Amino acid sequence: MNNKEQMLRDIGILDFTLIELALYLDTHPYDTNAMEYYNHYNRIKTQLEREFSRIYYPLKLSLAESNQEWRWGAAPLPWEGVCG
Amino acid sequence: MWSYEKRLQFPVNIKEPNAKLAQVIISQFGGPDGELAASMRYLSQRYSMPYKEVAGLLTDIGTEELAHLEMIGAIVHQLTRNLSMEEIEKSGFDKYYVDHTVGVWPQAAGGIPFNACEFQVKGDIITDLVEDMAADGTTA
Amino acid sequence: MQEIKFDDHCEQFPVAMAYVPWQRFDKMYEDLEKAYCIGTIFPELNKPFTGRRCVS
Repeated sequence: MNNKEQMLRDIGILDFTLIELALYLDTHPYDTNAMEYYNHYNRIKTQLEREFSRIYYPLKLSLAESNQEWRWGAAPLPWEGVCG
Repeated sequence: MWSYEKRLQFPVNIKEPNAKLAQVIISQFGGPDGELAASMRYLSQRYSMPYKEVAGLLTDIGTEELAHLEMIGAIVHQLTRNLSMEEIEKSGFDKYYVDHTVGVWPQAAGGIPFNACEFQVKGDIITDLVEDMAADGTTA
Repeated sequence: MQEIKFDDHCEQFPVAMAYVPWQRFDKMYEDLEKAYCIGTIFPELNKPFTGRRCVS
């Protein structure tokens, strides 16, 4: 796994963790322990996403600020996979 | 309001196409208990959900189901990529191919098109949640 | 939302209704990559479908 793949993998793992925590917190909105986990992983994920977008391509529109070429369109299509 | 992220929720990297398998897996895309039905079920039921927390949960689950839909779409797409005409005929994929070629169209494995009749919205919390469990309880 | 201890009040629940025990945040998988592959971060929700019944 190269650096790009590893970073994407880590973002995927972190985002999945955050979705799971969010679904739990939706019905347990006063669970401060779960909230601490959410805040912790969300900070790491946000930073990793910014870094990935800076080096490779923007994963979300809010990270797609561009100069010469519109970077949002330069990203590979997610459904093609790495073997594509 | 939604926004999109340019990555799959879990990576899909299929090396060998398999049109026979694709014809079964497509049910998880557009079949009665598939991801499209799941997403539309949750996102439609939330309006009449009396508890704000649960309406929020239905929104978040319905959103995640869209990410699942995209992964299943990727699986079907990659399983039907670079097929020869011979493979299309031999695998029985020809009946799908004649109408959709290698486009990914929401249908059940038996060929039934995706349809809102495959889920229910009754505006009653217990009825709707029981339907969610029946459709999504084991295959989420 | 009010938290209900299901086990302590079992007899107070009317018959002919369905109940789902309330989830509590206990622990997450320490290996988050493993959780990502299993499909949940909560060990108590890891119930693989075996074709006949869920593993409890």
